[in-house]
Amino acid sequence: MLTENPRLLDRQLVHRCLAGDTLAERALYDAHVDRVYRLMHRMAGDPDLAADFTQDTFIRAFSRLDQFRGEASLSTWLHAIAVSVALNGMRQVKRIRGRTENIDDVPELAAPASGFTADLKAKLHSAVDALSEKLRPVFVMHDVEGFTHEEIGGTLGIPAGTSKARLFDARAKLRLALAAFAGDHIA
Amino acid sequence: MNDDQVNELLSKGVRDYNQPGHVPREEMWARIQAERSRQEVHAPSVARRSTSRAWMWPSAGIAAALLIAAGIGIGRRLERSSAAVVVAPVGRTAAAPSALDSSVVVAPEPNGDPTASVIGKLRHASQANDVHAREVVAASPSSSGGRTGLSQNPNPNLAYQLVVLQHLAGTEAMITSFQASAKRGVTDTLMLGWSRQLLSTTRMLAASPASADPTMKRLLQDLDLVLTEIVQYSASGTNNPDELNLIEQSINQRSVISKLRSTIPGRIPSAGT
Repeated sequence: MLTENPRLLDRQLVHRCLAGDTLAERALYDAHVDRVYRLMHRMAGDPDLAADFTQDTFIRAFSRLDQFRGEASLSTWLHAIAVSVALNGMRQVKRIRGRTENIDDVPELAAPASGFTADLKAKLHSAVDALSEKLRPVFVMHDVEGFTHEEIGGTLGIPAGTSKARLFDARAKLRLALAAFAGDHIA
Repeated sequence: MNDDQVNELLSKGVRDYNQPGHVPREEMWARIQAERSRQEVHAPSVARRSTSRAWMWPSAGIAAALLIAAGIGIGRRLERSSAAVVVAPVGRTAAAPSALDSSVVVAPEPNGDPTASVIGKLRHASQANDVHAREVVAASPSSSGGRTGLSQNPNPNLAYQLVVLQHLAGTEAMITSFQASAKRGVTDTLMLGWSRQLLSTTRMLAASPASADPTMKRLLQDLDLVLTEIVQYSASGTNNPDELNLIEQSINQRSVISKLRSTIPGRIPSAGT
């Protein structure tokens, strides 16, 4: 009989997968694919890339399932692989696209035409794109996808306190990037 | 506006940042299954065969040892012949090979490019070796939970240990070949297939007890990165000097070649090095 303990459920599922149970593999996939895909899409900003990164995450996860120790939750373990895949993939994409912009190079937007909110949002999204590799995953996971600092710490292999510090830095950079645009509104 | 208000503004503003739409569950699952089937195409039959024929291990070890020696020999030869190409007139053959690696005599191609000939022979040898490496790794105790590292096990399975080294020798040959080809502005689908196969085997090894050895684990991680870059560069079909430079930087910064050479027993006398 299955237990209610999530960690034990994870281990049982992994054990069944390792034994070659294809239904268990599909159950593992179904249980986590939506959240992994959402995060990949938030990171990549492109549905095709998000699908590629998600596929690669699960291919790697299945091939390394024997390395899952159950010290973290299966979700955290999967997201750790996913973030690694996404960061490596985005590096390649940036190289290919030749995108080297940083937060200081975000192009100035034209004068507000369709209202403050839309332009501010566009500026904000560009500024999030331009955050560093250390800050962006933390900001996206916490402020966009609603992960806790403990979950982020487990996923990125950093203490929860470091996650908090990085979120603080990310918000400070975003505030700075928006200040010039929004002027008195957020200064 | 105070900090809380700014944070609230940020929070509202990023809610639809890269907003995901429909999750293509079935499409992704189909591709995942296809890729996994492709990767495991050799594993099941070999696993069954090997568990019932323990006597095959010694012969596999001997065969692997010979292949390693050949791999190292041709890898070293490639460097020499690549250098020779720079100075030798087109159409001339490189130096005569030793007895062991006579199978990789550098015969000139019809277009007078001996480097292409060497790379072609290296590729064939490496790919054949790599298939064997996958078979042995897939059939090894690694798949059933053995967690011993190569350097930690006092009595490791010889064949298993040898195929890991054999794979590393093939990878060294591939990276060296890629560098030689790319410098000449040549990238082709054969190089893409070769690098993809090695990347796949590298990942297979990374999931095996080979990665229980921290040094081997780091080396396999470095190889994963470099081979991924080479696969993507080769797949692009373009000769972009900036991209090539980045790959060279990855190879150099991680000291991949020197790590490979310090791991591979490159001074096997019979290897002709």
